[in-house]
Amino acid sequence: MTLSPDDDFAAAEFALGTLDPGERATLSARRLREPELDAAIRAWEARLSPLAEATPPIAPPADLLPAIEARIRAATAASASDGVATLQKRLSRWRAAAIGATGIAAALAIGFVAREATRTSAPNEFVAILQKNPDSPAFVASINLTKGELSVRPLAAPPQAGKSYELWIIEPKLGAPRSLGVIDAAAVTRGAQLASFDRSVVEDATYAVTVEPEGGSPDGKPSGPPVFVGKLVPVEP
Amino acid sequence: MSTAEETPKATESAAAGDDLAALLGRVAARDAAAFASLYRATHAILYGVAARILTRGDASGEALQEAYVRIWEKAGEFDPAKGSPLAWMATIARNRALDEVRRVRPASLEEMPEGFEPAAEAVDPLASRARSERLVALLACLGNLDADKREAVLLAYYRGFSRDALAKRFGAPTATIKTWLRRSLMQLRECLES
Repeated sequence: MTLSPDDDFAAAEFALGTLDPGERATLSARRLREPELDAAIRAWEARLSPLAEATPPIAPPADLLPAIEARIRAATAASASDGVATLQKRLSRWRAAAIGATGIAAALAIGFVAREATRTSAPNEFVAILQKNPDSPAFVASINLTKGELSVRPLAAPPQAGKSYELWIIEPKLGAPRSLGVIDAAAVTRGAQLASFDRSVVEDATYAVTVEPEGGSPDGKPSGPPVFVGKLVPVEP
Repeated sequence: MSTAEETPKATESAAAGDDLAALLGRVAARDAAAFASLYRATHAILYGVAARILTRGDASGEALQEAYVRIWEKAGEFDPAKGSPLAWMATIARNRALDEVRRVRPASLEEMPEGFEPAAEAVDPLASRARSERLVALLACLGNLDADKREAVLLAYYRGFSRDALAKRFGAPTATIKTWLRRSLMQLRECLES
């Protein structure tokens, strides 16, 4: 199977760096399970990489080598004390614990909400990665607060025969979880169901996906525990 | 610039690349001294890559640290057939910086990093001293693009400009910028592969 022209262009823009945060998060997640897409991104990076090499140097404000060596030692020590985990896994786990940006998916997973002190106006675009853990994102929810619009794109949601995925907004002010409707496991679902919620509720809420009988929960309450959850992170316009 | 001047520089650059490749090989074998030498030889370039995109010293330092941890981790995966050691390492630093800037917000047009002159907004790769064969080929292909489109690609690559930032810069709708980028990138690939 060859990559579609749109995916190829997305891979090129990933390498160039011009994808917006939601698109970049989506592609970062997709490349984990789409080897062709991953290869296309690597090929584009290699095509453009001679430019990086030609960058004029800037001396860092401090000698960071000791700090880097300490990070590596900490990771190696952790690895030595645990014969099962590979160095790579330990490294990434350790870095995640140390607030390192271990990739956007991990950052979103721990509910990192970047509210810059320098922000001058409130953001209106948000994304949330809905997942079990950072390595298996299932859906990406994009929200436009001005319009109250919500779109949910499936990444790797296993189809559920005879069942439906349903999205819920959970926030103490709302009391019980409120349904945002059934979401498709194979296509983008769009709606304006957030228009009736307060901005602060939408921003602070947890978004959760449950597996429900086909067509959605019969009584407007989740039938079981969430299978995927996520929090919003703002996307600057 | 004459061809006679370029040739020795390309050779010099290839020799430096060989040294870095040897260091990377030792780093892959977990040689800490080789890692320190690799850091000293390359950190200012990698910091230059990150700092132009992140425009904040603390964030750039963090990206640099993450990049070198990753280089230590991935040194065994470097493939000389796909590019120079420096290009490979600089791409890792660039990706860490982009992950950060795209997580938080697009590149700010206002803030400049320490030690970075606003006048040098777009890096001029033509001024680069070490011009590898791959860079020479890429520059020739970039030279075929219209001036605006070339500048857009370079601002995106070196400064981490988003489509919206480019739209503002060129006074064009974001959709137009997307079309520019698409045509430019496809044209670049075609040129590089011809």
